[in-house]
Amino acid sequence: MALEQLVDKIIKTDVLVIGGGIAGCPAAIKAAEHGLDVTIVEKSKIERSGSAGQGIDHYGIFPRDGITKMELLRRWEAYQSRFNGDGRFGDPNIIYKYYDSAFWALEELEKMGIPMKWDDGEFYWMPHGRYGGVNRIMLRVHWQNIKPYMAGVLKESGVNVLNRIMIVDLLTNNDKIVGATAINTRTGEFIIIKAKAVIIATGLFARCYDPETPLFWKYKFRYHWCPATVSGDGWATAYRSGAELANMDITGWHFRARDDLTLSFGNLNLNDGIAGKFLTWKGEEFIFANAHKYHELEQNGKTPIYQTLEHLPDDYHKRMEVAYVDERLISFKIAEDRGFNPRTHWYELMPNKPLNFITASGISIDENFKASAKGLYAIGDCAAGFHSCGHAVVSGLLVGDSINTYVAEAGDLAVDEAQVKSQKQVALAPLAVKKGTEPMELECAIRYICERYVGQFKSEGKMREGLKRLASLRRVFLPSLMANNPHYLMRCLEVRNIMDLTEVHIKACLERMETRGNFIRLDYPEKDPSRDNMLTFQHIENGKMKLEIRQVPELKPEYARERK
Amino acid sequence: MAAKIDFKRCVGCGRCYDLCPIDVFTWDEEVNMPRVTYEEECWHCGICWMECPKRAIDITFPASFW
Repeated sequence: MALEQLVDKIIKTDVLVIGGGIAGCPAAIKAAEHGLDVTIVEKSKIERSGSAGQGIDHYGIFPRDGITKMELLRRWEAYQSRFNGDGRFGDPNIIYKYYDSAFWALEELEKMGIPMKWDDGEFYWMPHGRYGGVNRIMLRVHWQNIKPYMAGVLKESGVNVLNRIMIVDLLTNNDKIVGATAINTRTGEFIIIKAKAVIIATGLFARCYDPETPLFWKYKFRYHWCPATVSGDGWATAYRSGAELANMDITGWHFRARDDLTLSFGNLNLNDGIAGKFLTWKGEEFIFANAHKYHELEQNGKTPIYQTLEHLPDDYHKRMEVAYVDERLISFKIAEDRGFNPRTHWYELMPNKPLNFITASGISIDENFKASAKGLYAIGDCAAGFHSCGHAVVSGLLVGDSINTYVAEAGDLAVDEAQVKSQKQVALAPLAVKKGTEPMELECAIRYICERYVGQFKSEGKMREGLKRLASLRRVFLPSLMANNPHYLMRCLEVRNIMDLTEVHIKACLERMETRGNFIRLDYPEKDPSRDNMLTFQHIENGKMKLEIRQVPELKPEYARERK
Repeated sequence: MAAKIDFKRCVGCGRCYDLCPIDVFTWDEEVNMPRVTYEEECWHCGICWMECPKRAIDITFPASFW
């Protein structure tokens, strides 16, 4: 059968960008500047999609005001260690490169016409840092409309923009990625996008755990980040194509604000650098509680714990409110409906527990953002150890700026029809199922496995039981997923991605026989020194998951020299 | 609960249907109006609410969020 008969549409492009967020858009725009034919696909609508859909209030980390790149790197590593314990959890060379390119990216954004300056025409450097100290390295930005701005620039740049397209799987030719198959989530069209290079920019993964505010009834998408993003589509498709994932044992850890204004959970102080106070219910102040500290507080009857801004003067609250306007306007509505005043409210913080894979996990990349499969790149929150809006923009611009060298020598490789056929079969199967399982039911079953058998306090027996149950869910229920329209077909494909990543996650945790930072194994309560600076990498080889534990690279000497 | 359309105010411009990141709306071709079809998937992000030019969308927060 010819390829044309197999699919509804074939698109040919030089560069396929998967995900139209704040990493994908700059990458596509920059690649198009180099004269490449670029196609960007987005599961939602670029104007308001992804983690930045509601807006952004602060951007980037810059080496300035006496703070060197080396100092920023040290802070990044300290931040990682705050959650993950001693050691390095990401390639310092990649992080260094990010700080090295921060001002270049700022210029590029300005050239695109993205508003970077404050109302008075000057940059507004945040006066205080994350932990209350003065640092002046982050920009406050009025970016409620960052996504409409970026969508506008995309339109002018000649990039082929396809909204409401969800990727099914990547296409391979031997060891090279040569495109992807996808469905239109409204029409159900099955399409092929042939590409010389593929950039994955689909953001984070989180949907194998319960949302931040888990007291839901029927609203099961109550995540802090866009639930369409956190299904981990990019990670799962990359993994299935043979690319390597890193750090899948390391989940993000945060306190969740019980009275979540959706702006921030437990890090209200981040916004405009305003330092909140952490208090026990009796009003005793404490600095910061990790999993162990929270446990101790609970055992001593000191919980609930709270965060509040009530001690701050009026002008701080006014600044804070501008941040709400810039990043999550809906916050005002929530406070109003719930009948509390954000200025004086004590936000109850829920226990620390795994939440999303935000600190260091994702698609394993080298210094040039190349994934381990040829022709595949990962940027933004997708890439291991590289999570924030600043990282997203910079990594997008860097890849967009350099991908033409790869495209020039990539050649025009054929797509394997048998592969397309099998991907189509898998993708469209739920449409033929009449009395089957709803995708959300299966998703909740997966989330329950992670909550119950993995969670915060891990042990071998629990995780083996979880894996066993996951395997039987996969055997019995994955084939019975049903969708009566393309919308639910999208949800079915998401569940498949969530299921694959959950298995990778549990296996990574099982292989890590130690306790370090927030990674707690009840059966291995000590730190294993042989795992210092070692990370878990997983990929598929001949249909089987292969797990490797490798050392994090050292910072290159030429970078380290800058220290003086 | 979730996103609710006030059809007295809605002019059928389609912004909510166009922009919702979760695609909870569908378009009713017969009357040229949006419908909240996948209400249970609404994550209360407020994009439809802030983008609606006629303030025809209200977001209400269910008891399970309290």
